[in-house]
Parts: sequence; C-alpha cells; structure tokens
Amino acid sequence: MNAPAPPKLEMRGMAKRFGETIALRGVAFAAARGEIHGLLGENGAGKTTLMNVLSGLYRADAGEIAIDGRPAAIREPEDALRHGIGMVHQHFELIHNFTALENVLLGREGSRWWLRVDRHRQDVEAVAGRFGLAVDLAAQVRGLAVGVQQKVEILKALYRGVDILILDEPTTMLTPQEVDALFATLRALADRGVTVIFITHKIREVLNNCDRITVMRAGKVVGRLDRAEATEARLVEMMVGQRIPGIGEADRGAAAAAEARPPVLEVRDLSVANDRGARVVRECSFTLHAGELVGMAGVAGNGQRELAEALVGLLPPAGGRIALAGRDVAQAPVRERVARGLVYIPEDRIEDGLLPGLSLAENLMLGLHPYAFNGRLAFDRAAARGLARQAIAEYGILARDEDVRAAHLSGGNIQKVLVARALALARLTRGAALLAMNPTRGLDVRATDFVRRRLLEFAQAGGGVLLLSEDLDELLQLCSRMLVIYRGAIVANLPRSAFDAYRIGALMAGTEGPAGAAPGPRAGAA
Amino acid sequence: MTDGAAGGVAVARGRLAREGLTYALAIGLAALVSALFVVAMRGNVLLAFRTLLTSSLGSLGGIAQTLNKTSPLLLGSMAVMMGLRGGFFNIGVDGQIYLGAIAGTGTAFALAAWNLPGFVLAPLVLLAGFLGGALFGAIPGVLRARWSVNEIFITVMLNFVAFYLTDYLTTGPWNDPITGEAITVAIPAAANLPMLIPSAGAHAGILVAVAASAIVSLLLTRTVLGYEIRAVGDNPRAARIGGIGIARITLITLSLSGALAGLAGAIEVSGYHNRLVLGLTPGYGAMAILISVLGKKNPVGVAVASVLVAVLMVGSDSLQRSVGLPASAGFVFQAIVVLSVLLVDARSARRAG
Repeated sequence: MNAPAPPKLEMRGMAKRFGETIALRGVAFAAARGEIHGLLGENGAGKTTLMNVLSGLYRADAGEIAIDGRPAAIREPEDALRHGIGMVHQHFELIHNFTALENVLLGREGSRWWLRVDRHRQDVEAVAGRFGLAVDLAAQVRGLAVGVQQKVEILKALYRGVDILILDEPTTMLTPQEVDALFATLRALADRGVTVIFITHKIREVLNNCDRITVMRAGKVVGRLDRAEATEARLVEMMVGQRIPGIGEADRGAAAAAEARPPVLEVRDLSVANDRGARVVRECSFTLHAGELVGMAGVAGNGQRELAEALVGLLPPAGGRIALAGRDVAQAPVRERVARGLVYIPEDRIEDGLLPGLSLAENLMLGLHPYAFNGRLAFDRAAARGLARQAIAEYGILARDEDVRAAHLSGGNIQKVLVARALALARLTRGAALLAMNPTRGLDVRATDFVRRRLLEFAQAGGGVLLLSEDLDELLQLCSRMLVIYRGAIVANLPRSAFDAYRIGALMAGTEGPAGAAPGPRAGAA
Repeated sequence: MTDGAAGGVAVARGRLAREGLTYALAIGLAALVSALFVVAMRGNVLLAFRTLLTSSLGSLGGIAQTLNKTSPLLLGSMAVMMGLRGGFFNIGVDGQIYLGAIAGTGTAFALAAWNLPGFVLAPLVLLAGFLGGALFGAIPGVLRARWSVNEIFITVMLNFVAFYLTDYLTTGPWNDPITGEAITVAIPAAANLPMLIPSAGAHAGILVAVAASAIVSLLLTRTVLGYEIRAVGDNPRAARIGGIGIARITLITLSLSGALAGLAGAIEVSGYHNRLVLGLTPGYGAMAILISVLGKKNPVGVAVASVLVAVLMVGSDSLQRSVGLPASAGFVFQAIVVLSVLLVDARSARRAG
C-alpha cells in the first residue's frame, strides 16, 4: 500500500441555491478518519447548508460526495445514515417525555409490533461504554441538563453506526464546564476512529480543539489549514475577508470603575410573575451607574426576559422598585420610562422591534416620534427620511433606500435598525440607561463587533449599559461588572477582577451557591 | 436574476405592473363569469352589460344616482379601512350609519325652532352624525382597550341595537303617521344638503365624503397619530415597546372609524331621504368590508372600488327592467368581482413568492 489512503470523506464541486440566494458555489471539503475538523465561518457562509447536504437534508444542485474513496449518492437522511453520516443539530431532536434510552432507540426499536426497550439496553450501554459516554439511560430527557441532552443526541448517532459525526454550533447553549466536557467526549470519539465535523463561528473553540480547520465565506471555501498553521488573527481575516481589530482592554477604557458615579438605574427587591402567575424574578436588587457596562449572565430561561420586560414596562412587577434617575417608575407606562432616559434593544428583534409592513424610515422613527417632531402633530416625512439616510450611512444598513419595507431587511440589518433607533432615542431624550438583551445573537462577526463597540461607546460617553446575554464570552469581554442570574435571583455581583469563566459557569448552573447570600430562591414572598 | 443589486427600481416597477395585470385579469374573469350567469338566466349578455353601464354612467341622472350611492359606500369603506389599518375589525358600520343618522335627524328636529340658515344647520347635522358614529365606535373601543373584549362581537351586536333603536324612533316618537311606514317626518329644509346637480338629484354628500376620505388619507400618512395607528396595526408589541399607548390608539381608531360611518348616516338623512328611514342602509357595512378588501386598505384603491360597487348597485336596478334579471343580480356581480380579485391575487402572490 504505497498510495495514500483516500480521505474518509470528500466533497467536490458542491453547489446549492435557494431561489435567488446562492448558498454554495462549488465547495470542496475533505476530512480524515479520526480527526476533529472545524468548519468555521460567519452566519450565512454556507457551513450548515454544506453539512445539511452531506446528511441528506438538502439535495445539492451539483457536486460529488465520496466516502472512503467510493462515490456515495446521498438523497435522503437514510442514505447518509447508511454511509455512517449523522448530524446533531443546534436544536436537539429529543422527545422530552421519553427516557434517554427510549430516545436513543427511537426508530431503531428492532421489532415491528412490540416495544422491547430493555432488550436493547445492553447494546446501547456497550456503545456508550466503548466511547466513554456516561449517560443515565433511565432518566427522562426533560430532567437532563443541556450538556447531557447533547450526549444523548451523540449516543443516538453512534448507536446508529455513525462514524462521521457532524455537530452544528454545539456550544451555544453550554456553560464553560459543559463545553470542556463536550470536547473531551469528542476527542475520545476521534481517538476511536470517528470523524468529527464541528460547525462553529467561534474561533477560540476551533483553535483549542480542532486538528484541521476549513474556513468558509459567502458560499465558498476560503482556506483549509492544519491546527499548527492557524492563528486567531488569520482565521478572523479569512472568515470576514478583512482585518477586525479585537476589542481589548483599551477599548473598554473608562468603562471600568464607575461606582462613584451617580446611579442611572436602581432596582430594589424587584419580583415579577409571568403570565401563568409563577414568580420568575425574585427580589432582584442591583444598581447601574453612569459609565459602566454591567453584564447579566445566566442560562436562558432563568428570568432574564421577564426582568427586562418589567424594567421596560411591559410586565407589571409583583413588587419592588425601579428607579430611573432617582424616580420610581415601577408602575409607570413605557413612554414615561423612555422620557426618564431608558432605552431598550429587545431580544426578539422581529416580534418586539420591527414594524414589518412599514418602511425602514418609519421603523427608525418608532419611539423617537414623540421627540423628533418637536411635539408637532404632523409626521414630518422629510425629517424621518433624513434621519433614516443618516442611520443607513452611519450604521452601514444594507437597504435599497429608506422607503423599503422593513420586512425585506435581513436579520443583521434589522438589528442595526434597532441599535440605531435606541441610540438615536437616547440622544434625543438624553437617556442614560441602555438595556440590551442578546443584541448580537445570530449576527455575523462584523455586525457583532459593530454592536459591541456601540455599547462600549455608550458607556464611555457616560451612559450605563445593562447587557443581558447568553454569550458568556461576550460578557467576559465587554463588561466592567457582572451579575449572575439563576432561577430569577441574582446570585452574584462580580467586579471585573473577579471574572472567572468557570466560577461564573458554576453560578449559572446553580452548582455553586451565591457568594455571601443564602443559597437558593428565597421562600415566603407573598 | 443574478444582477441583484441593480434591480431595486425594476422590482418596484414590476410590482406595479403585476398589480395592474392582477386587476385586469380579475375584471376579465369577473366579466366572463357574470356573462355565463346572464346566459344561464336566459338574458342577453351584451344588453345586460350595456344596460349596466349606461344606466349608471350614461346619463346625468344615472351619474347622479351613482354619486349618491358612492358617498355612503366610500365613507363606510374608509371606516372599515381605518379600523383595519389599526388592526381592528369594525363590522359595525351599519349600526354606526344608523346612529349617525339618528343623531343627525335628532339635531335637525331639536334645532328646528331656531330657524337657523342652511349653511349653519346642515353642517351641524353632519357634525352630529359624525359624533354619534364616534360615540358608537367608542363603545367597542373602550371595551377592547380596557378589558380586551373582541371588537368584532361588540360591533356586530351593536348593529342590532342601532337597527331596533331606529325601528323604535321611526315607528314611535318621530313617526310620520301619514305614510304608515317606518319613516319619520321630514327634517327642516334648512337641514338638507345643497344639491350638486339639482336637475338630476345629485346631492353634495359626495364632496363631503371625498373630503373626509382625503383627510383620512392625510391623517394616516402625514400625522404622528396616523403613524401610531399604523404601527399598532402592524405590530402592537413593537409599538408598545416604542412607547405607544395601545389603549389610547384603540379608542381613537375605533371612534374615528365609527365617526366616518356616522357621517355617512347623516349624509343619507340630510342629502337623500331628508328624514330618518328604517332601511337607510341596505347592507352598506358588508359592502364596505368587501370594498376595503378590493381596495387593499389603500385610500385610492378604496375610492375606485367604491365607485365600481356604486355602478353595479345602480346598474343592477335597471337590469330588472331591461333584461329581466332579478335586481339581486347586482349582488351576484359584486360577489363575482370580489371573488375574482381575491382568486387572481392569491394566484399571483403565490407565483411571486
């Protein structure tokens, strides 16, 4: 055997278009047996499309796939599975009422009529043991942590004989501890001969864990490197097509140490019930000072959304005070809070932020309209258009013109509209408190960098920013202080000097009690 | 289709062309189906179409009738459109027309003794109608704004309230005993609208209706209030986060919607019947809903569709005489037009998407 062995997986000339959008323009991709291969690129670069083609979810318009050097025709997910290809999607496909074992066996019950789950338990346990996947098979999926659910998904794929395992953005929902555990698992799989393809836009994860890296941009492969050749700067440049200087300590500048400055937002013992009456925010107290960017870390669904809605005035609080510039606004309508200097970048940019049937210019006026026309009754269309043109130029919004219907804008551009609107509003009302919830979710590198810099600028200009984010890296990078929320209670308030990803991860997961305070949610509140 | 960026203007122009084509196709389809209907009724197709057009547009008298019909249709449709723009379904246009008519008639009676000149009394009658309709629109407005009660049910039920109130007034306290019908005695002559074409009987109501529609159009597109109404109609959640008071907009929108319909009622009294009549509205409310769908919630489209429906209404009266079709044939034609537009529209939308 002198000739080099063919790669485990090879894709050549892959092309795919959706209507007028070209998702893949002749992509070549290859991965070797037993390697962890990072597939890196911005949102919309074509990574997921390429892997969806490989796993049979989409059919390519052109291109060839070879497994172990032999051509493979993949038209349906079953074809992919026959060739040992399996994919763990960003959103798990588990049935919550079933046990882990039942989920693993789903579709592989082995018998047409009778469900004999226990007969297969040993097989599943054998697979789990071989790859070092410790999962409690008898546990209901509902009660499992996200990281464990992910293991169940991986086990499900391995049980089906998968030896090319694709994971789509697998770390988005995980705490740092869970991320480490995931990569330990993946390394163990690779050591046992599984080819792991790891789709991500997070450069650090790729650098820390992958053997080889393929970078995609705009439907094309722009480079393939071994780990040794890759540096962070090089990968960013390949992904984005230009250099983006990182946000360093210098950019945060004066954003640190602002305790002495006046508070712009004071929250005392705030409790909020959701629409089913359950208390989801429990006696939260914190203060936001001028000139600081305070982060709030937490696993999704721990009360962040309700807290934000109570602060903005969408949900009436069950108790407590919200003071803006020294005045309690806990019962005040939205408009009064805006007038007192609160601006908001909502989490759900389409449901909470967009007027899809109205024009871009009209969308940019929402919330500004009581201020922008000097109290006149007429809606000054010329003024609105002027403001829109200014925002389009300043924020790099990609739109035909200011009259285009907002429904036609892409997600990144919609987010730019919301940011532009919030900052313009703050300018008009001299607003000093900016509340932003997951403002960079789903954005590409450039747009993310853009939004982050605007938040920092706002703090540097003397405003206070409260950033609620599920992206811990983002919070660690930007914030001068970090609050951690767990089950609706603030369990930690850490200065930048005490930032430690693992400790914060433990606080987010509830495995470490709050520092100084009594652990767990306080009972007895009426 | 690879020349993406350059196509902005072309896309807009393409959409306009498609819209035009849509309507041309729809009218053609409607004509064809209507022709089949006439044949099935053993009528002469060409004679039927010619009668339809000449009776409504071919003579001064016909034009006058068409104009008189257009006023309530246009105002009623603007009322529905106003609601839809704010995200509300006003199914109560008929009731609001009656209430406007009652308020207008009552005002004319109440001020009869003062012997006010026409240029004072007639506008007061219209104003009363406007306010009466607004009051009737404010009822679902308050219920929706305060307790989230669905305005559809309330407006439908209020139609009955207004109808039987009119029934009571026209047969009871205001009844004209000489006629033996459900009509009141005539309002003072000074309360009547001036004539636009005196020889043919076209009253000036159409001018009021057109002016009101223009004001509605300006209100929606050129004022902060109109902007807030459209924002609430487009995405109430985003509007609320933008600081817009949903309750306030709900109340204003439904009241204004009712006011437009009430104005129509007052015009019917002071322009056409010169008294309150049971049966003042032959279902203008339902037609107004159809018209605002046909006109795509756009003031110009709604105006064109109002004229079209008025032509059909006037023309179908003569169909009975000349072609021997039942008078209700007009309603069949209207239904065919609406269905055709909806059908062709849905087809072209699917192809474009």
